[in-house]
Amino acid sequence: MTRKAAGLVLLAVLACLLPHQLNIYWIHVADVAVIYGILALGLALTMGAAGQVNLAQVAFFGVGAYASAILTTHGWPFWVAAIVALLAAALVGLLVSIPALRVQSHYLGIVTLGLSLAFTNLVTNTALTGQADGLNSLVVPPLFGLNLSSDLVYYYVEIVALALCLAWAAFVVHTRLGRRFRAMRDDPLAAASIGAEIPYLRITAFVLGAVFGGVAGVLYAGLIRYVSPASFSLSSMFFVLAGFIIGGRFSLLGAVGGAVFLVLLREELSNYEAYAQILYGGLVVVIVVFAPTGLVGIVRSVAKAFKRRTERFSEGRAQVSDEASPTGLSARPYRAVRLSDGGSLAGVADSSAALLIEHVTKRFRGLTALEDVDLLVPAGQIRGIVGPNGSGKTTLFNIISGIYAPTTGTTEVFGFRTTRATSYRLARRGVARTFQNLRLFGRLTVRDNVLVALDQSRTIWAWRYLLWPFGVLRADAVMRQEADALLALYGLLEVADSLPGVLSYGTQRRVEIARAMARRPRILLLDEPAAGLNGQEMHQLAEIVRDVRASGVTVVLIEHNMGLVMSLCDQVTVLASGRVIADNVPEVVAYDEAVIAAYLGESSGDNGPRPAQVNT
Amino acid sequence: MTAPITDGDARLPGLEPVELVVEDLTVHYGSVQAVRGISFVVGAGESVGIIGANGAGKTSTLRGILGLIPRRAQTLTLGGEDLRRVAASQMVRRGVGYVPEGRHIFAGLPVEKNLLLGAYTRRWRGCGDQLAEVYELFPVLQEMRTRLAGALSGGQQQMLAIGRALMAQPRLLVLDEPSMGLSPLLVNDIVSVLQRLHATGLSILLVEQNAKLTFATTTRCFVMDQGRIVKTGLASQLRDDPEVRRIYLGL
Amino acid sequence: MQLFFQTLVGGIGFGAVYALVGMGFTIVYRTMGLVNFAHGQIAMIGAFLSATFFLDTKLPFAVAAIMSMAATAVVGLAIEGILRPLEARDFDLMLIGTLGFGVVLEAVATRIWGATGRAVPAPVDRPLQIFGIIIRTYDLVVIGVGAVATVAVWVLLNRTKAGAAMQAVAMDRDAATSVGIRVGRSNAMAFALGAGLAALAGSLAAPLLYVTPSLGSSLGIKGFCAAILGGFGNINGAVIGGLAFGILDGFAAGHFQQYSDTVTFLVFAVAIMVRPTGILGELTVNRA
Repeated sequence: MTRKAAGLVLLAVLACLLPHQLNIYWIHVADVAVIYGILALGLALTMGAAGQVNLAQVAFFGVGAYASAILTTHGWPFWVAAIVALLAAALVGLLVSIPALRVQSHYLGIVTLGLSLAFTNLVTNTALTGQADGLNSLVVPPLFGLNLSSDLVYYYVEIVALALCLAWAAFVVHTRLGRRFRAMRDDPLAAASIGAEIPYLRITAFVLGAVFGGVAGVLYAGLIRYVSPASFSLSSMFFVLAGFIIGGRFSLLGAVGGAVFLVLLREELSNYEAYAQILYGGLVVVIVVFAPTGLVGIVRSVAKAFKRRTERFSEGRAQVSDEASPTGLSARPYRAVRLSDGGSLAGVADSSAALLIEHVTKRFRGLTALEDVDLLVPAGQIRGIVGPNGSGKTTLFNIISGIYAPTTGTTEVFGFRTTRATSYRLARRGVARTFQNLRLFGRLTVRDNVLVALDQSRTIWAWRYLLWPFGVLRADAVMRQEADALLALYGLLEVADSLPGVLSYGTQRRVEIARAMARRPRILLLDEPAAGLNGQEMHQLAEIVRDVRASGVTVVLIEHNMGLVMSLCDQVTVLASGRVIADNVPEVVAYDEAVIAAYLGESSGDNGPRPAQVNT
Repeated sequence: MTAPITDGDARLPGLEPVELVVEDLTVHYGSVQAVRGISFVVGAGESVGIIGANGAGKTSTLRGILGLIPRRAQTLTLGGEDLRRVAASQMVRRGVGYVPEGRHIFAGLPVEKNLLLGAYTRRWRGCGDQLAEVYELFPVLQEMRTRLAGALSGGQQQMLAIGRALMAQPRLLVLDEPSMGLSPLLVNDIVSVLQRLHATGLSILLVEQNAKLTFATTTRCFVMDQGRIVKTGLASQLRDDPEVRRIYLGL
Repeated sequence: MQLFFQTLVGGIGFGAVYALVGMGFTIVYRTMGLVNFAHGQIAMIGAFLSATFFLDTKLPFAVAAIMSMAATAVVGLAIEGILRPLEARDFDLMLIGTLGFGVVLEAVATRIWGATGRAVPAPVDRPLQIFGIIIRTYDLVVIGVGAVATVAVWVLLNRTKAGAAMQAVAMDRDAATSVGIRVGRSNAMAFALGAGLAALAGSLAAPLLYVTPSLGSSLGIKGFCAAILGGFGNINGAVIGGLAFGILDGFAAGHFQQYSDTVTFLVFAVAIMVRPTGILGELTVNRA
């Protein structure tokens, strides 16, 4: 940590000393570079952190610049105009975010790109904005008597602005809001299932990006003192996007550095414009194909490889490499904790069932996946839902967890109607789930995965970021303690700082369960939790599930592994061809003729004596 | 739905059935090992089945043999020819016909185009004989030849998938869960078809969850569990073996 | 009335161009799973090649266009190799990577042909009179050629083995592999086909617009909008969407003059929000 801080201080010192090495021309270039750095920071928040394709960033830049220019030309004081310009940019960001509520990825790319073109077209043709000629002879910003018409002085003002912007962006990214953004980016489905309000998050992401664009725009108007549509064209959009990617799309410093680097490069090659374009267009392609995390990513990989090599020569920390097997890092074995606090189970003496499904039928375009299914799960039970391939159990599970709505029938969770509830609403009602294909947030550490789930606040809480940041920091510290307690309970503290990708499958499964439990749910839905686990891991899984139930949580799982289901579940419901064919304790279900027929093919009654008799 | 079984159906000359030898096959999905070093042989003209519950690794075994997913094997030969370096798209030319799990017919194309694509590696002009053979085996496909494959019922799509694989005149037919999602009546049709194909001397490797179907159409079976072969035997013997049920139901 | 029909025909004319761009783009997407944001620049290169053959080598317009299509298709084969690694990346990276490649193409075109661009005269000049309404003949030529090209693409995809292979790959990559189709080769051909269609679009658009390196951006963006409007991934949708977008663009230009772009893109944004799957519905590629 201190090494990073030392690096940042060094950068800051260099930044302050830089202008004294440069002539007046290059100081001006540096000024422009810093502005583009702030612009790229906005991209880093919307695209890098929140995963929202934002090809309108240059339009936000333009709104900030034009608003500032128009207002000051009409006599408004510069800094008042600047505030209004930022508000205008935020408003435009809000408007642009609306399509993001409906469409994503390349659709959003085209829509935001189109809106960018619409903006350019608008300002090129409106008298207020000076049309194609733009507005010139803008005022010099006044600042405590400093001479801001000097590019050198302006540089220091910009550096301060950049430092503040970077600090605030880092503040956002590393606390609860940023974590939610990153979770949404990594897996929107899983994020919704742990209670993230996706639409509000998307709006916030765009507004933040727009505000940064506005800051860049205001600074631009104050520096160049001339705004015209040409500065906010598609090629500028691509330019800042290129800088963002080349620097490193998942790193704030990378985004800034990349943009600064490109501005300096473009200036250096200003006599060879076409070659320069080929160079950074080509560089973008190369980076995307070979180093998608940008130059920062390259630096990090090199540093990690270097560290690993030096570690191999040292004897300490051997335990970390010992745990790593070809299948990934393993957490230490789970130690079963039968919570003596049986009070929580008593608290669940609800008269209403944990889960009630009545006459649920699901049809997909001519295919009937489920036919008149009834299911009642009493509070505190461990219930298994099984069935051969194509039996409809996955469909039933998806209906329970809010991914599908049934064609007919109703579902209820602890007495609340949940028939058409989305997975987000179900999360708020105390339903947590894991996924068959493991939907962990790949670019968040294990601790961060749990922290996102622990965060039960609504997005509107985010106003504190602007007006009461200390509250944010304090809440984060509290959550961190809770997270560590939970991680310790699940034996995951040692791997808390690892990314999920390096962990063994069994450990990843455990992290997913811990994350689901961080929501303090009343029902835990497990989707084929045993898939990919070896014998020992499966044993530990069973221990975890028993402990979860002992803490007062109802567990419903679908599974193929019959051994696990039979030994773990209090009751088993068997589906075949969309219908319930058996619903009883495991011992009865295992010898049910209909169940045997469903799994092994039509029986003709010649399945031999029961094993109990054979063994005697 | 299908023609009655007759003995000794004539097959076009020059297509000898062959032996498939698999030794120590392993398949990984990321950090999960789906197939943990299995070995088996499908003799020339033999019909062999692999059964087991879901997640046992049966489909991964097939996809591994066909090169659709990365795999390692000590030995993997078809008729003595090493398959390990053969690209997945070349398997057809080596004589492997594949009927994938879930059918995977080309839903947006008509039935006859689907069948012709089965013979992609051959000249389409000379395919008339194979096409006639397939239509004789599955008359319903001839009725529906101009219909889009996506409009067919599940059972008809399964017939189409098998027909498509036969169009390339394979020496080894590999089927993955042909009975999935089909009613018991249709399953009986699949049984008839497989018995008839076996009678023509084609080597068959059948992967199925439905053990009864497998016992009725194969001579030898392997039971897989958690990526390993845990039991082998003749179909006639395994049919009455209660241990098979124990393995399926995890008792 | 006269103005209405002129605008309509002109809009359909541009619509045919957007439809061709959208079709090429969709074919590449359906077969390769690649969302190629450099597609417009490929059309631009086709436009420049065609202009060069027509104006400098003095070849007849049709011959120049056909040669341009052939040359661009060959260039397309080379480009496909460069873009192939992007297929496996997530959409954001694919978007940025192909955008980057588009910048490269635009810069290369600037080096070869200069930034100022050229005006290409239409091969047919006399206006036609139909039912008393004067219509620009070239618009009808564009519509006609566009229709012929659409039919030709249909024949290629539905009546040839190579076309069947492309469709098979688009529908189910693994199944296509297991019947012996070499997916890589089929995709390269699909890309060449897409590039050829883009070149045709560019060649036809040359007399309608000024041919500059930045023509690629506007053709590309409008072509993508067309494909999305009609239903992303749906080849028929690309045609319908192209015509719809062309008519929208034409009438916006007629009524709002210089603000046409603003109106067009705002309407497009609203339309997509109302119905994201487009007019005919989308067909996504299973990128499992």
